[in-house]
Amino acid sequence: MARIEVEDLRKTFATETGTIDVVDGVSLSVGDGNFLCIVGPSGSGKTTLLRMLCGLLQPTAGRVLINGEPPDPRKQKFGVIFQEESLLPWRNVVNNVKYGLELNRAPQASVDEIARRYISLVGLEGFERYYPHQLSGGMKKRVAIARALAVDPDIILMDEPFADLDAQTRSLMQKELLSIWSKLKKTVIFITHNVEEAVFLGGDVAILTKRPARIKEVLHIDLPYPRSRLSQPFISYRERILGSLQQELS
Amino acid sequence: MAYRTLVRDTLIASASIAVFITSWWAVVRMTANPFLPDPYQVLIAFFRISTVGDIDGYTLGWHAMNSLYRILLGFIAGGITAIPLGILMGIRPFARSATSPIVEPLRFIPPIAWIPLSIILLSGLSRYVFIIWIGVFFPVLLNSIAGVRRTSVTLVNMAKTFGSSSSEVIRKIIFPSALPEIMTGLRVGLGVGWMSIVAAEMIGGEPVGLGRLILKYADLLQLDVVVMGMITIGIVGLAMNYFILLLEKRLFRWRTAVSA
Repeated sequence: MARIEVEDLRKTFATETGTIDVVDGVSLSVGDGNFLCIVGPSGSGKTTLLRMLCGLLQPTAGRVLINGEPPDPRKQKFGVIFQEESLLPWRNVVNNVKYGLELNRAPQASVDEIARRYISLVGLEGFERYYPHQLSGGMKKRVAIARALAVDPDIILMDEPFADLDAQTRSLMQKELLSIWSKLKKTVIFITHNVEEAVFLGGDVAILTKRPARIKEVLHIDLPYPRSRLSQPFISYRERILGSLQQELS
Repeated sequence: MAYRTLVRDTLIASASIAVFITSWWAVVRMTANPFLPDPYQVLIAFFRISTVGDIDGYTLGWHAMNSLYRILLGFIAGGITAIPLGILMGIRPFARSATSPIVEPLRFIPPIAWIPLSIILLSGLSRYVFIIWIGVFFPVLLNSIAGVRRTSVTLVNMAKTFGSSSSEVIRKIIFPSALPEIMTGLRVGLGVGWMSIVAAEMIGGEPVGLGRLILKYADLLQLDVVVMGMITIGIVGLAMNYFILLLEKRLFRWRTAVSA
């Protein structure tokens, strides 16, 4: 259960040719159990923003507060889903799912039971003993999701998790993510550059400017789940956001 | 299909060994040099030294065991020093900058060049262990560093977002990621060590060891035993290499399947 406050967050990187402002004053507020999508042009600093949200990166200025405290993976529990491959290739599915649980030093019996529960939640029963190289891209993402959920995270952060998947798998994973979210009611921040995905998933959609990233606007998507991608309101939300992004790129 | 390839490979291998032995025989006949042993004489020497023993009464098995014991100790010493240092150098750029001006030139000194120093400074078993250690240390060190540095940043970040401490990141992410490279380093190091132990035994004092055996019989101009000793060294080295390769295959099935 978590509320996220982001106050005037800034990040500047030093390079050989000077400094680059990557995130330039982002302020956000995400309520408990909400699903926020952040869309922005490629290279707009989305990943940098996400890394500051979970404490992997220290901001240059401003702050992130999670239930009033700065992010620290040793205090709060994060479930982060990365865009890249993040499974341990030398561990099979069940042992990958257990990774986060081992650190909590829970008793072995309950670890096994929790791992089994989340593997079945993402529909991977029967694949417990498979190694990552034996799985398809979509299945690997499911394992990563099960691993993140297994620790009962306060917040789920997803960084373009479905970007590498084919269109059918992607659409299936979006539906399953929504069904899992509706069951667990976790706070989710989902980063994507895909506008349709953002409108399909998000309770709110925050639109970023091109780099340095600022919040251009936050749009509440006032449509009930499950959403139809072909409905008129869906399309008009999509057009609206696309138009906003296009202004950024021109 | 796999069975057919196996049969074909075995046939080719047998044929090339047969051609090699025949040519060897032919060269001995043509040169008519009284010191040059033919394959049959070498085989006889093998049975004689294996059962009766050499001029001091030590059998071939005993010579091989002594060499193997020395290499095992040097190998363990090399592993337990080079792996932690390699991991540290891989993780901390400071450790790398601080140690590389010393390590980099040292690694181009072949183990054999250390033999005179080890004879003066050390005695007995420690001489051989030191030479092997030199041979094993550098390949393992360099491969450990390389292995650590190719650890995926995403995996490290993943572990951190779950609240893993630095020591957990090292044990659970970095070490297993680097392990295939570390094993390669150990295999290469074992080869280098094995080649140098023979040289070290030739100079060292003890009357046992495969290197010593060769030298004893070189002094007696009995080249049948010398050649037999050389072949034994080759075959033992090959067997050790094969054993580690097998171990690598078992340990890293996840990796071989990825690259296939």
